[in-house]
Amino acid sequence: MRVCTKCVLPETFPGIEFDENGVCNHCRAHKQAEYTASRKTQYREKFERLWAERQASGAYDCLMSYSGGKDSTYTLDLLAREYGARVLAVTVDNGFVSPTAIENIRRVAEAVGVAHLFVKPRFDVLKKVFAACAERQIFPPKTLERASTICTACMAMVKFICLQIAVEKNIPFVVFGWSPGQAPVTSSVFKNNPEMIRKMQETVRKPLEEIAGGEILPYFLQEEHFARPERFPYNINPLAFLEYDEARIHARIEQLGWKKPEDTDPNSTNCLLNSFANTVHRKQFGYNPYAFELAELVRQGTLDRHDALARLSEPEDGEMVHLVKKRLGIEQPQLR
Amino acid sequence: MENFVFGLDGAELNDSDSFLDKGIIDSTGVLEVVAFLEETYGFSVADEEVVPENFDSVDNLVVYVEKKKAEMPGQPARLMGA
Repeated sequence: MRVCTKCVLPETFPGIEFDENGVCNHCRAHKQAEYTASRKTQYREKFERLWAERQASGAYDCLMSYSGGKDSTYTLDLLAREYGARVLAVTVDNGFVSPTAIENIRRVAEAVGVAHLFVKPRFDVLKKVFAACAERQIFPPKTLERASTICTACMAMVKFICLQIAVEKNIPFVVFGWSPGQAPVTSSVFKNNPEMIRKMQETVRKPLEEIAGGEILPYFLQEEHFARPERFPYNINPLAFLEYDEARIHARIEQLGWKKPEDTDPNSTNCLLNSFANTVHRKQFGYNPYAFELAELVRQGTLDRHDALARLSEPEDGEMVHLVKKRLGIEQPQLR
Repeated sequence: MENFVFGLDGAELNDSDSFLDKGIIDSTGVLEVVAFLEETYGFSVADEEVVPENFDSVDNLVVYVEKKKAEMPGQPARLMGA
């Protein structure tokens, strides 16, 4: 398969075009390092100004969407250590959190000294959603570029559950641990506007409601939330405007007692569903759903191209894929 | 705009179509449009201006950009009906 000679995007990636040197349109549009550095400074300064001016009248300065993976663990530690934040860490348990990640979450929350909340949506509802996502593309094609359909559904629920809690508890910032490849710096400091959020929520809520019925609704914002527009928080992605160095991240979080799960795929450090989600996406669309993220990390110089290619080409763990299918009650032999 | 809005299969887009309803742009895409406008036109987009009324269709964007350009220092005031 043809792959960009500079990054790792394959010829199967939506909308890709190569020039005579085999360089893709995304690499050709990539801005110089000086531009990225200046943008990072701009957004870091914006966040730090907002942080200094915050008026946290509730018990918490920020809510951390905490998956237990390496990036959100590092971000959680940064918030508590560098910014002295009173954090409420929230983990949404999709039924496939690695047991090692669960232990990591407990250990790290204690080591860092933050309050932590597990939210566990009904598994019968999630099961319907994930099984449907494995069968068909239910979201707009644009979403396919950044993640698998299963991941997009799961993350949408995580985002809206976190937003619900932030509005209810009057928490002024919701923080995510997206890598610079997952979230561009321009999305690193974002004020949630209620009308914009209402529209964005509809694009994911509607298809999920068609699949799972009204039982999905508790995991989305209700009118009672929209009735408190003054409580809508900022979304912050600190790793998009701070230095991102995987070796440094691992070194720091291991000091906190974090251990790398052995049962997840190479692109996840918390979720057992990922192997299956990636397998489905590769079968349906012909490329690894992590290609976009890793390609951007390669362009930014934070990931070696050969390492990225190796990560993307590593086959999924067949046994794990089988276990996930069994738990979801899916019988699709062609995906085995 | 092409990079943010189009790119997959050349789907039809009318100037009044909602980017979000049509699913051709997501939250990240909206913020990339914000950054693009700031760089291209040299004005700042305030947080409270990132609303569907300003950013959710080509028509809305055109009106918003015209308004912001008119507010920039050194820009001649537009005459009504001119």
